[in-house]
Amino acid sequence: MFRLALVSSVLTVLTLGIYRFWMKTRLRRYYWSAIRPGGLPLEYVGEPIEKLLGFLIAVVILAFYIGVVNLILMFLSFSLLQGNFAAYALSLVGVIPVGFYARYRARRYILARSRWRGLRFGLAPGAWGYAGRALLHWSITILSLGLLWPRMTFKLEKYRTDRTFFGTEQFNQGGRWQMLYPVFVPFVAGLVVLGLALGLWAGGFLVPAVLAGLAGVIATLLGLLHYKVQSFRLLSNAKTLGNIGFSSNPRTWRVMGIYTFGNLVVGICMVGLAFALFAVLGSIAGSAVGGLGELDLEEMATGIPVWIGTALALISYFVFFVSWGVLQQVFITLPLARHYVETLKITGAEGLSSVRQRDRDEFTEAEGFAEALDLGAAI
Amino acid sequence: MMGPTVIRVGETVAPHQAFADYLDGRSAVIHRVALTIAEASSGPILVVTLADDQVVRWPLRDLRTIPDQAGKNQLVITSKDAPLGRLIVEDAETQRLLKARSPNLRQRPPVRGRGRIFAWSIAALASVGLIVFVLVPAMADQLAEYLPPDGEKALGDTTFEQIRNALSENEFNPVKICEDRAGMAALEQMQSRLEDETDLPYPLSVLVLDHEMVNAFALPGGRIVLFRGLIKAAETPDEVAAVLAHEIGHVVNRDPARGALRSAGSIGVLGLIFGDFAGGAAVLFMVERLIDATYSQSAEAAADSFAHDLLISGGIPPAALADFFERLRARYGDQDGIVAHFMAHPGLGDRIAKARAANSRMVGAIRPSLGELDWQDLRGICANDEG
Repeated sequence: MFRLALVSSVLTVLTLGIYRFWMKTRLRRYYWSAIRPGGLPLEYVGEPIEKLLGFLIAVVILAFYIGVVNLILMFLSFSLLQGNFAAYALSLVGVIPVGFYARYRARRYILARSRWRGLRFGLAPGAWGYAGRALLHWSITILSLGLLWPRMTFKLEKYRTDRTFFGTEQFNQGGRWQMLYPVFVPFVAGLVVLGLALGLWAGGFLVPAVLAGLAGVIATLLGLLHYKVQSFRLLSNAKTLGNIGFSSNPRTWRVMGIYTFGNLVVGICMVGLAFALFAVLGSIAGSAVGGLGELDLEEMATGIPVWIGTALALISYFVFFVSWGVLQQVFITLPLARHYVETLKITGAEGLSSVRQRDRDEFTEAEGFAEALDLGAAI
Repeated sequence: MMGPTVIRVGETVAPHQAFADYLDGRSAVIHRVALTIAEASSGPILVVTLADDQVVRWPLRDLRTIPDQAGKNQLVITSKDAPLGRLIVEDAETQRLLKARSPNLRQRPPVRGRGRIFAWSIAALASVGLIVFVLVPAMADQLAEYLPPDGEKALGDTTFEQIRNALSENEFNPVKICEDRAGMAALEQMQSRLEDETDLPYPLSVLVLDHEMVNAFALPGGRIVLFRGLIKAAETPDEVAAVLAHEIGHVVNRDPARGALRSAGSIGVLGLIFGDFAGGAAVLFMVERLIDATYSQSAEAAADSFAHDLLISGGIPPAALADFFERLRARYGDQDGIVAHFMAHPGLGDRIAKARAANSRMVGAIRPSLGELDWQDLRGICANDEG
């Protein structure tokens, strides 16, 4: 895994990013094959070339949209409002529906290229419907000050799940949106504590306010994580595929442990790497200065060492980012995926024998939009 | 000690036999199957026998593995002619035999749709090129004309802060703006001398940044920035005035506003392409420079010729610009080193020649842009800052 991530990241940098389609494909093949429900691995059969093609198609379409729209927004924002904030905000708002659309399309592509027991998964078309609903639910959530967030989580998950297929068999998202509230409480509690801290601050009680604020921030973040992990559990448990049921049991503390430990390891490695890089750069710079000791400062600054310095800086920059990405994969993404999968049980798999193959979903543009908009950042 | 060699006569050796899981790609049923390798005249064949005695034959030369598998104890195999079928082999001996005897196990299926990839690559390049180099500049040029002065000033203020931050070593210690009182007065004198000859919708705002770079630039909204290094490198006030006139030329032609609008459009498009991977920011920056450089050639020439006229009508010989450039060239060479900024400019030699040629049009009396005392004040504009 480490080698796969490292080799493909280095190739990605060397090819100015073009290899990233191969990198994604290979990493997905690895992750999918590592998941073996009933002893049989999942298989990812997507092709890098189709990702490249999809990306090119998306670029042709989006380049026009983003280039021209950004320019006009910038102009309007400066001529009417004398500031660029409005332009950034508006151009972000303009991209949001495209973002939801792209996410759904990417999911459809990935499912269409995933197989288990020789059968394809699939997602029925409906990306614009999804984008519209996502916008609507986000507006409702914001208008309700976040109180209807669980409703959005549930409704969007139901929209996606009910359109997901394994072979000829259709998934179904059961349950009700209200069932997510119990796991939503810690997050709200965290926010309440934060509000309390603000009140104390306004009231002039500075020390208690800072303490309460600290506790509030920690509680809110933990609450958010708890909601993410446990709403996944509740939603999975309420899903069915024909006679097949799911029983998921991820633990919030374990997930937090993985994040904490993973980030700690990544952090330590990166600091170590930074020191090593500085040492190497320092010794090179030292020898360069030694060789040019007779020349005056100005000449040195304009001479070759500037180019060497720039090249070295670029190399260190790449080394740094490549290592960071690789370590993230090894110490965070993989353990997280492992935990979710290990705690997932499938019940009633005997009923699967009647499931038949579904037709191939050609899907020319693959996940190009998500790729171009940088949404599928992980894998 | 070697074991005895056994020579069998009669029937052939019993072929290797093992069990595996077979997926036919039509249903989710897992078939437990028996595997043997049969020797045929066309080459060895993997014979897969299902529970109902149905038989699937895959020639070994058609076998392919699925790459990048996590499970090292499983070998997942498919056949070229049955791309949906899968055999999952766990038996180590069978895995060894199959790996040893299948010649094309690692071969990947041929790439389909090369022509389409090629066509779309060209289309993507063409559309990005068209947008970045034609559409966005054309729109920026048009829109820059309509940008109201207030909007242009706001754009300039934003850009100035960005540039100042980029030059600073850290956020807590921004590059200082030089504001020695006497120096400011001298600068103002020079500025109003040139400004009187022009017609701008907003007042110029000229300031000096405490930085050793030999450079100057104009920003939208009439903001002109000189660096301390430039004033230090100049030997006469006329040379500074010449550079100032050049930057005023940019302001009059609205080049900075164009550039800012242009980069607003093209950065988004380029971010689209390079955004995702580690070096994105670096590549983005280099491409951005490239775009800047190509657009600047004609803009620089126009600003130069504006500067010549402005200097002449102000009674300052345009040759000062030539003197200054010549000194820079003698010191740093043409187009490299610290003069990196001038990469965006037409060849220095050409510009020097044009400035000298313009000098012959000088008719009125020569009036130095600053008196000797004022010149000393200007040189000290960064001196009296605290710290």
